[in-house]
Amino acid sequence: MTELEKLRIVAGYEFLKHIRRRRLYVILGLTLAAELAVLILVPVLGEGYPDNVKVMAALLSMGPSLATIGAIFFAGDAIAGEFESKTGYILFPNPVRRITLVIGKYLACYAAVILLVIFGYVIVSISLLVIYGNIPIETLSSFGLCLLYAGSVLSVTFFFSSISKGAMGATVITLVFIMVISGIVDSVLMMTGQPHWFMLSSNGDTIATVYGGYELFLEGVVPHGGMGMTPFEIETPDIGLSVLSMVIYLVVGFLLSIWITKRRQLA
Amino acid sequence: MREPIVIENLTKYYNKFLALNNLSLTVAKNENVGLLGPNGAGKSTTLKILCGLLRASSGAAYIDGVSVAEKPEQALSRIGAIVETPEFYPFLTPEETLGYLGRLRGMRGGELKSRIKEVIKLVRLEDWGAVKIEKFSRGMKQRLALAQTLLHDPPVLILDEPALGLDPRGVVEFREIIEGAGREKTIFFASHQLVEVTQICNQVAIIDHGRLLAYDSIAALEKKYQSLERAYLELTEAPLD
Repeated sequence: MTELEKLRIVAGYEFLKHIRRRRLYVILGLTLAAELAVLILVPVLGEGYPDNVKVMAALLSMGPSLATIGAIFFAGDAIAGEFESKTGYILFPNPVRRITLVIGKYLACYAAVILLVIFGYVIVSISLLVIYGNIPIETLSSFGLCLLYAGSVLSVTFFFSSISKGAMGATVITLVFIMVISGIVDSVLMMTGQPHWFMLSSNGDTIATVYGGYELFLEGVVPHGGMGMTPFEIETPDIGLSVLSMVIYLVVGFLLSIWITKRRQLA
Repeated sequence: MREPIVIENLTKYYNKFLALNNLSLTVAKNENVGLLGPNGAGKSTTLKILCGLLRASSGAAYIDGVSVAEKPEQALSRIGAIVETPEFYPFLTPEETLGYLGRLRGMRGGELKSRIKEVIKLVRLEDWGAVKIEKFSRGMKQRLALAQTLLHDPPVLILDEPALGLDPRGVVEFREIIEGAGREKTIFFASHQLVEVTQICNQVAIIDHGRLLAYDSIAALEKKYQSLERAYLELTEAPLD
């Protein structure tokens, strides 16, 4: 039996586990609620929907949050869970390589996150069609960037899962790393005019800024045409560099998680 | 080196704690060997090294002549194992779990389905085959663990306290299953229950502080020490009345 066949088996059953879990449906529900909140609150609190369809598309972009939450909650226990809950005692004494197990789990997590992202973008597309009668072509780019961002968050989560003793620890560390540390460092670098293309939170911003950058967003959303003077220049992330950065996070995080899991012992 | 289980000078450190100290023993084909020892003696460590869950600090372990450290997939294809108190994925049913594990071992289609039914019936979980494991008691999970051990009909069984958590009837049924399997398989079986070991095994290895203290037939040990219990107590330095 080839490792590829085993990989398909592992990915299939891991995906089945994700489908059976309540958290998938909870996140789908939260996504729907969040999008509905934007659709309702923007016209209620503002002066109707923005004139520019791209501005509304950017507003509806839950991509970074959705991909982050989905990736972390599916992948946090991917490796750590086998050690913490001792299911590894059943799984690891089988004639299957650890690398196959890790890749299979990663593919299953990615498939689950893709479902979430597709769900989110279907809501965005339907909403834009109903409100404006068209969907900007940038929505495809936004979707692609969201998938890449999800993959990189998944890899970071897998890394933390491979070094953590428990699933909760892995989930919390990843959340703190991405949403707090990366966000804070990104903001500081941006405010001080330093390059920040390598920060994961900045890379996630491209999912919305692909529609036209921060200037378009601020002009279209903030009353009376913009915020006026700001204490610092808000630089729209370069998409090419952001893609490179996300690929690096994806590859390095994933390879490290494989390397660590191969060596980890189940005492 | 083609004996089912060969352990050569196995040493294992957990940081500075020496869990196994140059342990060597060989389990011959179709022998049922009990591994006895007090808590912390190194029994589980030995079994986990054999199952590829731990790496030895030095020494080697072989299954059917294949090094567990160098070719783990090949070595593990020859064993069925219960290690510690097993846990299963709560969102899967026994049939799905056994299907997963069976397919990882190359079993397919009709053969796999009928074998799953067979082992589920053997461990008396027929009414629970399609129920999610999250509803299972500890004893039921132990039964399922035994089922997954036998699913692919391996020539070598490695069992770590396999009857733990079973009710008295379950213990008897388990013993009967293992005795039946033991006629055609090699069993390496760690337990605290001397009665169980006496009934299932014909040889016993007694270890303490990671060292092999005795490895002989039960009959020979009983002749030398009057009983297996006495042999265990004297060799592991427990005080006698």
